[in-house]
Amino acid sequence: MRRLVLILVWAGALLWLFPIAGAFVTSLRTQQDISAHGFWSVPREISFGNYATAWERGRVSRYLTNSFIITIPSIIGMLVLSSMSAYALIRFRFRLNRALYFTFVAGMLLPFQILMLPVFQLSNRLGLYDTHLALILFHTAFQLGFCTFVLRNFMRTIPMSLFESAVIDGAGEWTIYRRIGLPLILPAFAALATLEFTWVFNDYLWAIVLLSSDRLKPVTAGLSTLMGQFVNDWPLIVSGSLLAALPTLLVFFALQRYFIEGLTMGATKG
Amino acid sequence: MRRITNLTLTTLSIALIAWGAAQSGILRYNSYMMDPVPRELDERIVELFMERYPDIRVEHSQVEHETFKQAIRTFLVASPPPDVLTWFAGERMRFFARLGLAADIDDVWQNADWEAVYPAGAQAMSQTDGTYYFVPAHYYWWAVYYRTDIFEELGLEVPETWDSFLDNCRALDAAGYIPVTIGTRFRWPAGGWFDYLNMRVNGPEFHIRLLDGLESYESEEVRNTFAHWQQALDAGCFIDNPSAYNWQEAAEFMVQREAAMYLMGQFIMDVVPEDQQANFDFFRFPIIDPNLPVGEDAPTDGYFIAANAANMENAQLFLEFLGSREVAELWVTEAGRLVPRADVDPALYTDTQRKGLDEVLRRADVIAQFYDRDTPEELAGRGMDAFVEFMANPGVLDRLLADLQREAERVFAERE
Repeated sequence: MRRLVLILVWAGALLWLFPIAGAFVTSLRTQQDISAHGFWSVPREISFGNYATAWERGRVSRYLTNSFIITIPSIIGMLVLSSMSAYALIRFRFRLNRALYFTFVAGMLLPFQILMLPVFQLSNRLGLYDTHLALILFHTAFQLGFCTFVLRNFMRTIPMSLFESAVIDGAGEWTIYRRIGLPLILPAFAALATLEFTWVFNDYLWAIVLLSSDRLKPVTAGLSTLMGQFVNDWPLIVSGSLLAALPTLLVFFALQRYFIEGLTMGATKG
Repeated sequence: MRRITNLTLTTLSIALIAWGAAQSGILRYNSYMMDPVPRELDERIVELFMERYPDIRVEHSQVEHETFKQAIRTFLVASPPPDVLTWFAGERMRFFARLGLAADIDDVWQNADWEAVYPAGAQAMSQTDGTYYFVPAHYYWWAVYYRTDIFEELGLEVPETWDSFLDNCRALDAAGYIPVTIGTRFRWPAGGWFDYLNMRVNGPEFHIRLLDGLESYESEEVRNTFAHWQQALDAGCFIDNPSAYNWQEAAEFMVQREAAMYLMGQFIMDVVPEDQQANFDFFRFPIIDPNLPVGEDAPTDGYFIAANAANMENAQLFLEFLGSREVAELWVTEAGRLVPRADVDPALYTDTQRKGLDEVLRRADVIAQFYDRDTPEELAGRGMDAFVEFMANPGVLDRLLADLQREAERVFAERE
């Protein structure tokens, strides 16, 4: 039985790794070699030159920088704001508390494609079109719903008496939020940050809706500039894509411990 | 405290002034030249322009070709839009001109005296309702590319007529080769077949009228076109499952010497490895009805200025440079393209380019752009879907044509 499970797991893992391995091998080849002998032939020559070309001439270095410029402020923005709103939703009783919470959840369920025209028009009117700020503001605002949802549910697991004893000790709301609320939801923070990082980092649609200048593009939209109109240099495109996938992987590996812990804790307590 | 405020204010205002000054020397140029060779040339042209006008800084954005075709709708209504953009001649250009999104450039045409050097055909494709909005820069020909070594091996002649083309197909098929390769995953190669069959069977005038919505897809003429396509299918001309490949994957069958022919644009040679190029040649699509004028596809690319361009003067300067003889000659020598300017030194053309000109284009009575550039874009998508489906499943032709005609009537009615 154990052996059977082992075989199945290995088979599954290999099956999943197969495309990535194929991509890696392709990235080391030349397009000439591929068009002459086919994708699944034995490579004639191997070099890392495509990575250098993608990095320099394909401008992946600049696009990756742009991705970070967009992603990091967005994540900081959404975590700070949503932790505040989550705190408020948990801590205070007011008439529209529930309604407000449902609004956040509803925003999460909205299919983002329908926002394309209004968001484009809005950023255009505000003079934000073709700036990084447009993307940062959009991502922050759009992800607030989900972040608030997760953080609120996570904060509910904190015993109310903790907050109350802080009040008795004379702490103001800001201190309670900073000193008691925030430290306790750190695991959820890490989990959300990982998840949001992959989402924002891998966004393609909004990058092409809200940006038109090449020098501002994140790596997803930038990578597409490696695609030819008629002619595609596949090894180059694959090299660029593998480079673009690295940051997400690194973030995930660095934070994966929190990721699973944080998400499941948030999810089981409704 | 006040001192600090003052200092900040001064710095701020200096920064603002500097920014304003820099703004005036800016030019935003978005292009879709994404294949390696044209892309490099595109970048070089921008560099040359900046050398000539050092106080204009060109912000050049290269956008993936298919993305560009979608995103241009947001580019043009954004504020500020890119000043100068690459685009397609003919119907596609007229679409934006009629929406008021392209700038009137009659002045540029007049100042540069382009009417003296651009032939009448090029002038016509740059105009919309009598006004210039576009400058055509370069184009390429379509032809049937074939492997000379396979033709030699089987003792085949270059086919001049439809019957000899079909005979070649049968001979190649019998010898175990794929007679004609075609990759229709992105549909447009099938549009090329329709263009050529329809122009050869019904004449280019009928073809253009059909694409303008003045003839019916359910007419006898169009049915006759498909009857010829059917003959090619019956003769075993085409590769199996063409929609499984994109055009480049389909070209690899030719490079690997499994397929003999491919109806394709001149850019096919960009994907043929150099040591193989000697085995490739091309011939004009065979004549079907010798009594009809001959039409050819020669898609033309060029440039226009956005109607709300923020840097109109720079944009006009740049456009004038893009349409100049200097740039035209670069397209000839560096990218192997043909150019509409008539004053380009003929000695610059290579033998291949001259063959494309002499054997394909100069023998043509009518030059069309291409199916998806000559007919409204949304209809072109439906049309090419239908051609791809026909190749896979010829039995449903009646339904395909009826659907296509209904769609055509809707699209053209909306334009009124």
